[in-house]
Amino acid sequence: MKIIKEALAGTLESSDLLVKVMPLPEDRVEVVIQSEVMHQFGEQIRQVVSQTLQQLGLVSGQVVIEDKGALDCAIRARVQAAILRGGSIQELDWSKLS
Amino acid sequence: MNDDIDFYTIDSHKNWDEGAEIQRLLTQCDLDMEEGIHVFVVGRQGHRLVACAGLDGNIVKCVATVPDLRGESLALKLMSEVSHLALEQGHLHLFLFTHPKNVSFFGGCGFYELAEVPGYVSLMENTPIGIKSYSEQLHKLAQPGRKIGCIVMNANPFTFGHQYLVQLAAAQCDWLHVFAVREDVSMFSYRDRFALVQAGVAGIPRLTLHHGSEYMVSRATFPNYFFKEKGIVGECCSAIDLILFRKYIAPALGITHRFVGTEPFCTTTRKYNDDMKHWLQTADSESAPISVVEVPRAVSSNIAISASEVRRLLHSGDMAKMPSLVPRETLKFLSGNHYAT
Repeated sequence: MKIIKEALAGTLESSDLLVKVMPLPEDRVEVVIQSEVMHQFGEQIRQVVSQTLQQLGLVSGQVVIEDKGALDCAIRARVQAAILRGGSIQELDWSKLS
Repeated sequence: MNDDIDFYTIDSHKNWDEGAEIQRLLTQCDLDMEEGIHVFVVGRQGHRLVACAGLDGNIVKCVATVPDLRGESLALKLMSEVSHLALEQGHLHLFLFTHPKNVSFFGGCGFYELAEVPGYVSLMENTPIGIKSYSEQLHKLAQPGRKIGCIVMNANPFTFGHQYLVQLAAAQCDWLHVFAVREDVSMFSYRDRFALVQAGVAGIPRLTLHHGSEYMVSRATFPNYFFKEKGIVGECCSAIDLILFRKYIAPALGITHRFVGTEPFCTTTRKYNDDMKHWLQTADSESAPISVVEVPRAVSSNIAISASEVRRLLHSGDMAKMPSLVPRETLKFLSGNHYAT
C-alpha cells in the first residue's frame, strides 16, 4: 500500500499522538518520531510504529509522529487511522489491524 | 478540567457578531486582529469565548487562550483542532509567526522554529523535517564552482530587465541558480510566469531554473510583499525571508552571491533590496555571508525597465512601448491574452 494523499489522525493532547502522513515521489517509507518521552520509550515507540506499518504493508509514504506519551495501543490505532485515511487501500483486511 | 469546552469553526466573513468577542480575547492577550484570516477555530465554555486561532491559507494567526485556563491543555486541544481544520482545507503543512518568547510553547504544539529575528519575531512550521527535506532536495542540484550566483524573481511578468540581470549574473558566475517565486497571488499566474522565465533564460549557459517554494518570498516568509499590488506596504517581514535564505537555501546550493536589480519604482522591493544587504552580508549569523550585487536596471528610452511599469502600461492599454520592454515570448503572451485591452 502507498500513501496517496495527505492525512491526519489523533491530537496533541496528553497521552495521545498526532500522526501526519503524506505521499513520497518514490517507493520509500520515511518515519519521523518526536516524543516527549523519547529518552525513556523511544525504542519501544519506534518498534510499535514500524510493526504497525509492516502489518499494513506500507511501501511508500512519509509518516510524521508527534507523540505526547501515548500507550502502545493508542499509537497503533492512530497510525492505522492515518495510514488508512491517506492510503491507496480499497478493501480493508481487518485481520491486519489486530 | 476543560471537558465542557466546545470547539467549532466560524467563517470570519459571515459570523462577525463573534468577531467582537474574538477581538476582545486578542486584546486581552496583547494581540491584534491580523489580516487575511478567513476562518477561526474557537473554544467556548458556556457563554464564554475562551480560545481562538485563525487560519490564513496555511498560516496560523491570532492564537489566544484566556489566562485563567492556561496550563490545562486548552491550547493543545485548540491546536489539534486547527491541524484538522487546515487539512480539511487542503493544508497539512502549516506556518506561524510568533514572538520568540513563545517558541517553546508552540514547540509543545508540534511546531519547529525556522528562523528568528531576535527580540522581534520567529517563523515556525509544523514539521520537524520540512526545511531539512527541502534543503536536501536542493543540495542534489548544487553545481561545482567558486562563485555561485542566485537570483530570486517574481517576474510578474518577465521583462528585458530580468533577462539583462540574468545574462549579466550568469556571465560573472561559475553557475547561476534562478528561482521563480511560486506564490500565486500576483497579476500573472505562477504557471505563466514560470513559462515566460523559462523561455526568457533559454540558451544561457551554466544556469539552473528552479521552482520557488514556500521557503522563499512566499506568504509565509514574506507576507507583505504580496500586498504591494493592493497598495498596502506595512511593516516588512523580509528579515525572516532573508535569514532563511542565508541559513538553509544558500548553503544547500553553495550560493556565494545574490544578484538584484536596483528598484526605481516599487517601495516594497526597494526596501527588500536594502534589507538584503543587511541580513545576507552584515548581520551576525552562524552562516557564511552572501555578497549582494545590486545591478543598475536596464534602461529603454531613458526609462528603467520594470515589471510594475509593464503592468501599468497593460492596465492603460498602451501596447506601443511593450516591444522595447519585454522579450518576444512575453510580448506574445501579453498580446494574445485578455490583459491587452
